[in-house]
Amino acid sequence: MVRLSRRGFLGAAMLGGAWLAGCGSRGEPVGARPPADAVRARILRAELAAGAPVVGSPLAELTARQDVRHAARLGAGARRASGTADLATALARKQDAVFTFVEALPQLPDPADRVALMQVLASEAEQIAALRLADGQEPVPDAFAGFVT
Amino acid sequence: MSVATAVAERYAAARTDPSLVETAIWVEQLGALAYAAAADAPLSGAQRDRAERFAGHEQDHAAAFATMLLALTVPVRVHVSDADVDELMPAVRGDRPRAALEVLAELEGAAIAGHQVLARRLHAVDILRTAGMVMGGAAQHLVVLRTDLGRPPTRAFENGL
Repeated sequence: MVRLSRRGFLGAAMLGGAWLAGCGSRGEPVGARPPADAVRARILRAELAAGAPVVGSPLAELTARQDVRHAARLGAGARRASGTADLATALARKQDAVFTFVEALPQLPDPADRVALMQVLASEAEQIAALRLADGQEPVPDAFAGFVT
Repeated sequence: MSVATAVAERYAAARTDPSLVETAIWVEQLGALAYAAAADAPLSGAQRDRAERFAGHEQDHAAAFATMLLALTVPVRVHVSDADVDELMPAVRGDRPRAALEVLAELEGAAIAGHQVLARRLHAVDILRTAGMVMGGAAQHLVVLRTDLGRPPTRAFENGL
């Protein structure tokens, strides 16, 4: 059986409410979906911001290598993340990318694109936890990768 | 049968949106019981404390998917038992901490692979927001487990396999 803690109940209710608010009586979205190209552009902007190399983490090289691959998978072509980011900035940008990717998932019409985005989303969520862990922070402060903190 | 195989077979057998979501609930309920069992034994110290917290996270994940199932106007009838844990993940009740961590990592990976099945097969795509949030949580659990196991914590493209 599902045992609900108060926090779990509130989180589940919030998540369910967010979904229901976007649907009509037959479960169809009320609003029109944004064009897929616009969604992909938003995803890529978030990834390029999140991919700025992290300064001062023992995981900097690992995350930088992975972020270059994320950008390529998401259609960056020759574009690369610019500049660098301290740990706090990097964590904030990666969290923003996770938010953007989750929001975009239902807006991508091609299932293969959704799966590819999920794989990058999971990697960015992992990087957040790994960077925190390497810095001595609690790696997983909430159940939903930053959505209920 | 390994727990990853059991999860994959359940997803493969699911033919409708409600059955896909029920499978996701089943996996999260299994995770909640498995982490709780591992916290009772064989884990100790910080690993035990974290397993207790992650058990709560898994309950939250199951509750989130249960809300999605209700939104599809389907009642929640999924029920994982201790017998399922005994059959699929006996290491969480054993005496080897590493074996427990390994099978918990296997389950988290299988959960992530399942969330990506949802991305490929769900017709009610708005549920993918919830799936994405839950998958992010599973991926973060996996980082902790891999670190404790001495494995690389992250992958460039995480598919759980």
